[in-house]
Amino acid sequence: MFLHYLDLSWRSFKRTPLVSFLMVLAIAIGIGVTMTSLSVYHMMSADPIPEKSSQLYSVQLQIMDDGSTWWTKDNLPLQLTYQDAVNLNKADAGGKRVTMVRTGFSVYLDSDKIKPFIGQARLTTPDFFDMFNLSFLYGGVWSEQQEANAAPVVVISKELNDKLFAGENSIGKIIYLDDASYEVVGVIDDWDITTKYYDLNNGSFNKTEQLFLPFSLMKARQLENWGNTNGWKHEKTNTFNDKLNSELVWLQFWVELKTPEEKQAYQDFLMAYMQEQQKLGRFNRKQLEAKLRDVNEWMQYNNVVSEDNEILVGLSFMFLAVCLANILGLLLAKFLRRASEVGVRRALGASKRQIFYQHIVEVAMLGFLGGILGIILAQVGLLGVRQSYSYYKSLATMDLSMLLSAPVIAISTCVIAGLYPAWLVCKTNPAIYLKSQ
Amino acid sequence: MFEIKPIFNALCRSKVGAVLLLIQIAITTAIVSNAAFIIQDRIGYLSQQTGYPEEDIFVFHVMMFGQDVSLSQQYELDEAMLRQIPGVVDAAYSSNTPLSGSGSSSDFSLKPAPEEGKSARTSYMFIDEHGLNTYGVKLIAGRNYTEDEVIVTDNYDELSKVTVVTKTLLDELFPDGNGLGQTIYFGDIPMKIIGVIDLMKGPWLKDSRPDNVALLPFIKAGSNARFVVRTEPGQRQSVMNRVEEAMLKNYNKRVISRIRGLDEDKEQYMAEDTLMMRMLIVLITILVLVTALGIFGLTLFNISKRTKQIGTRRALGARKSAIISYFLVENAMICSVGLVIGIIAAVYLGQLLMQHFSIAQLEISYVLGTALCVFVMSLLAVLAPAKRAANISPSIATRTI
Repeated sequence: MFLHYLDLSWRSFKRTPLVSFLMVLAIAIGIGVTMTSLSVYHMMSADPIPEKSSQLYSVQLQIMDDGSTWWTKDNLPLQLTYQDAVNLNKADAGGKRVTMVRTGFSVYLDSDKIKPFIGQARLTTPDFFDMFNLSFLYGGVWSEQQEANAAPVVVISKELNDKLFAGENSIGKIIYLDDASYEVVGVIDDWDITTKYYDLNNGSFNKTEQLFLPFSLMKARQLENWGNTNGWKHEKTNTFNDKLNSELVWLQFWVELKTPEEKQAYQDFLMAYMQEQQKLGRFNRKQLEAKLRDVNEWMQYNNVVSEDNEILVGLSFMFLAVCLANILGLLLAKFLRRASEVGVRRALGASKRQIFYQHIVEVAMLGFLGGILGIILAQVGLLGVRQSYSYYKSLATMDLSMLLSAPVIAISTCVIAGLYPAWLVCKTNPAIYLKSQ
Repeated sequence: MFEIKPIFNALCRSKVGAVLLLIQIAITTAIVSNAAFIIQDRIGYLSQQTGYPEEDIFVFHVMMFGQDVSLSQQYELDEAMLRQIPGVVDAAYSSNTPLSGSGSSSDFSLKPAPEEGKSARTSYMFIDEHGLNTYGVKLIAGRNYTEDEVIVTDNYDELSKVTVVTKTLLDELFPDGNGLGQTIYFGDIPMKIIGVIDLMKGPWLKDSRPDNVALLPFIKAGSNARFVVRTEPGQRQSVMNRVEEAMLKNYNKRVISRIRGLDEDKEQYMAEDTLMMRMLIVLITILVLVTALGIFGLTLFNISKRTKQIGTRRALGARKSAIISYFLVENAMICSVGLVIGIIAAVYLGQLLMQHFSIAQLEISYVLGTALCVFVMSLLAVLAPAKRAANISPSIATRTI
């Protein structure tokens, strides 16, 4: 029966090609506009590490004395001080944890083959790779021993390995970073994340780093922070050591906590830690505060999805509503014109339910066609977005879930629009139309 | 004269079509007026004056990895070399560059820290006496600092004693207009204001104080440096093409990167807003088209339904103009109700956007302007079908019935 209705729908489509085409076009434009903004929204807000996003927590401490304020909505600094980050990393609490900061180097080899270039780097404690689910193509992470000794070792990205060593196994090879040589101990595979959730300071959708080095190198070699450094009170920080001992915040700290109990225990540990620090003259405030946010909470807190995008998504759904009203009007026109035909079918024994069903199938078919055309329009729209703003290159794309949801949204919109006209037409009293035949 | 009563009665018989049209007009008005307001806001932001001759300035990054030269000496040599290149007006080492989204800021206060005094958020830039000329900004009072006042050093033990600030900063700290020659504090370090710049935007155009900028005559050479170059009009591209080679020829153990015009930096900083503006423009254009098509389609449908009626009216002596005016008045009636609802919806949507997002209060003139445009558009959309209706021959009415 369904196929028969489909066939009838197709015939009806061909009988009034202009109106039918206008309807398909209306729904296609609505879907095209909506899917363009929704796809960007979807990619921005997508969970970057679904398998363990609820187990990774970014740590924030309220380090400021009473009376000082921060610009975040809960008044908490986004990063940690060097003292706190190192202390928390050393303490025997919580699961795997990582202290890290962004930096960069001039990268070159011992030969003239490659012109020196700037490489983005991350100084991090070794659990980083395991916590954020990175896999190694060659070699592995540096040892705890090497971390403790600030050994000159480096893990490089696949992209950099391709550039420097033509993709070969480069373990044991030497690369130069600024004025010193470092031994390659690992090469990681491509890291496909669109949102750089582990460090949102300098752009949420920046590329991941190409070089990863032991965190202890920062102090040993006085490496500069390439991320944000923020202060909240007046301090003399003229030398590198001053900075390490200051209340400036500039480090990211994450901890892996597998269960709610572990999380609670870590929360308690943080409070105890701050009370301890209070005895040393820090945290001059009545109410101590520490916050653990998992990956998704962290992204939301940092407004990864831009305000503009949220507005656009809202406006495009309103746009879809206009298209829906438009289709409804056209459907009314189309269906009511057929009233006499329906009258004959009803007289020949078709039930109201069948008539209703037939017309719903017809609008669903229009919705499906509109959805397909809408995907094409959305691709054009996304291409426009990529052209206009290259930073959104990896965001302005449709993944499978968006591709599938386009026809679903289109069909449901059309069915909603079709309910009233279909109901109206199945109410037709056959006698009137039989008379005028 | 408009025969409003009979038209209204006729409308009551086919409510659904009218209601649909009304909804479309209402939503369209709500979206378009808010979108137009946001677009205008972005256009203002995107086309603002920055104080720089952006097309003549470019900046670049230097990262030194060689250890066999003194950095500050090398940078002096580089500056001298850059100023010699034909077509270059001036060049300088600059601790950070404006309009780029990356820089340094601090509170400048009337009292030395830790005393609490009136203070203003300010972005600051370490640059030598060539800074003003290189950036091409206008000094409106006082003087530039001299070469002797520039401190070249490798630590922060001694900082500059004088500063040149923008007028906006001066006015914020000294609203009485007596700021020139006064002392302000950078932390606990006193600095005398010796010059005032007319307009000079800082690194963040979206900052709460984008216009508060202070230039400090202080050079602490680091391995990571930025240079800024101003060229004669039209010469920029050719100088940009040569600068990497020239810099590496001067000293080669370093990386020269991110050579880009000041306007490119600004464009990149503003790219998201440009995108938003374009998307909104596309959105409202299509929306207006779809609504116009909807009105057009619905009127056509109404006419085909009423062919006989129209024929009868014509046969009974109605003029063509009467038929046209019938459809125009009918549409205007629906449209007016839709617009009233749309205006209320637009104001409500504006309130909603203001509550949840950092969007200013919607100006009522945008709503009224949009309403007028939608009204005209709807009349235009009706005109063609109405003319067609007027051409229905009276004989139609006599043939059937």
